[in-house]
Amino acid sequence: MNALAASLRAVGGALAFAAGALAQPPQEPKPPAPKATAAPAAQGQDPKPAGPATPLPPVPPMAVQNPFLPFDRARFEAACRALGATEAQLGRFGAEAADVGLARAADDLMRAVSPALAAACKRRDDGDPEAAVALAQVLADAKEPALRAHARYHLARLFVDGDEPELAIRALNDYFAQDLNVSPLDGEAAFFYAQALADVPMPEHALPRFQAFLQWFPDASERFRAAAQQRLGELQRQQESRLHELADGMQRTTRDLRKQRTGKPVQVDQEGYLEQLNQLIEEFEQRESQSSGAPSGNQPSANPANQSQLPDGESNVGELNKRPTLADRWGDMKDADREKIAAKLQKGLPPQYQKMLEEYYKKLGKAGPRK
Amino acid sequence: MLRFLQERVNKSTKDFDARPEAERAATRPESDALAGKQARVQDLMRRLAAKLGNESAPEGGR
Repeated sequence: MNALAASLRAVGGALAFAAGALAQPPQEPKPPAPKATAAPAAQGQDPKPAGPATPLPPVPPMAVQNPFLPFDRARFEAACRALGATEAQLGRFGAEAADVGLARAADDLMRAVSPALAAACKRRDDGDPEAAVALAQVLADAKEPALRAHARYHLARLFVDGDEPELAIRALNDYFAQDLNVSPLDGEAAFFYAQALADVPMPEHALPRFQAFLQWFPDASERFRAAAQQRLGELQRQQESRLHELADGMQRTTRDLRKQRTGKPVQVDQEGYLEQLNQLIEEFEQRESQSSGAPSGNQPSANPANQSQLPDGESNVGELNKRPTLADRWGDMKDADREKIAAKLQKGLPPQYQKMLEEYYKKLGKAGPRK
Repeated sequence: MLRFLQERVNKSTKDFDARPEAERAATRPESDALAGKQARVQDLMRRLAAKLGNESAPEGGR
């Protein structure tokens, strides 16, 4: 397993968007800190001894050249022909591309020529827990790089939608290492890579990749570009704030708690938040006392205790798990069906995906079902 | 207030973690509620950060 992890990291290190290059690259982010605590320890304080609550995925450094080539339509169509696409299907692809964009049209064509991919995507759309293993099987069986790219993209999307951004990052690391420039899905893959990084959250890595996405994919769907602009704006506003950094850590802990990860590493992170809050309160109190000595004396208070008495509003909490989640469905499955999926995991999948999916299903098991 | 809320979440996390594994697995709504409490503190922290940011309050960079 160590060798596997090392090879994953090595693959990751060779990437480009993961990998992404900017003509004028933003500041190179620091490598992901091997910790899950929200904020760095204050000066003079020892860091906490415990390891991360949630291990962060490897994120390769930004490169300085755009690794994405213009979409080679002839090559893509040749790949589809090799997979059995008919002229009629290729004709529909051409017509559809003008209507819904190249990425969607290409994915529709790929699903048309690969019933296994279509079936796996349908399982995912239906919220079937077997979707992950079905997509991994398509990936394992695919000889054609374009089909592999689509299978890997959909697997990563499944992880993003399933609140598993760390797994999505790992799948997309492989996409950028092995499947780049064979499908017009590259732009969406780049978008979801940045989104997964923001979801972890790893804002220092997400920010330059949203910038790169916007710079390199000017023709991407407006839906993705608008979302990227919005996330980028949020990240930029949050960049210089210790409070946002603290909130980032709390966001990671929220995800841990939702998956019933309540062990020592999470508790250490939580204690760290209290320390950070204490420090912030002290700092604000000091500022308060300094400003109260001024002759005017009637400036608005910056006391955080007052500031935190904010009107109640919609929090993200209300949106959690309203609909049956994958975890619910997994929990509701019969043991025999779960065992069937477990057996499929052991057959024919690349070792790194076998490990990734074992982790995925283990987390599904921990997260559900709701009683 | 934020500190008080975080203290409560910390205590609830410890209490939850101290339960036997089988019992924890059977109390999904409680872990959802626990995550919800942490999310609430996070949300308040974001609002506070945004409010202070709007007021250009000096903060340490990262």
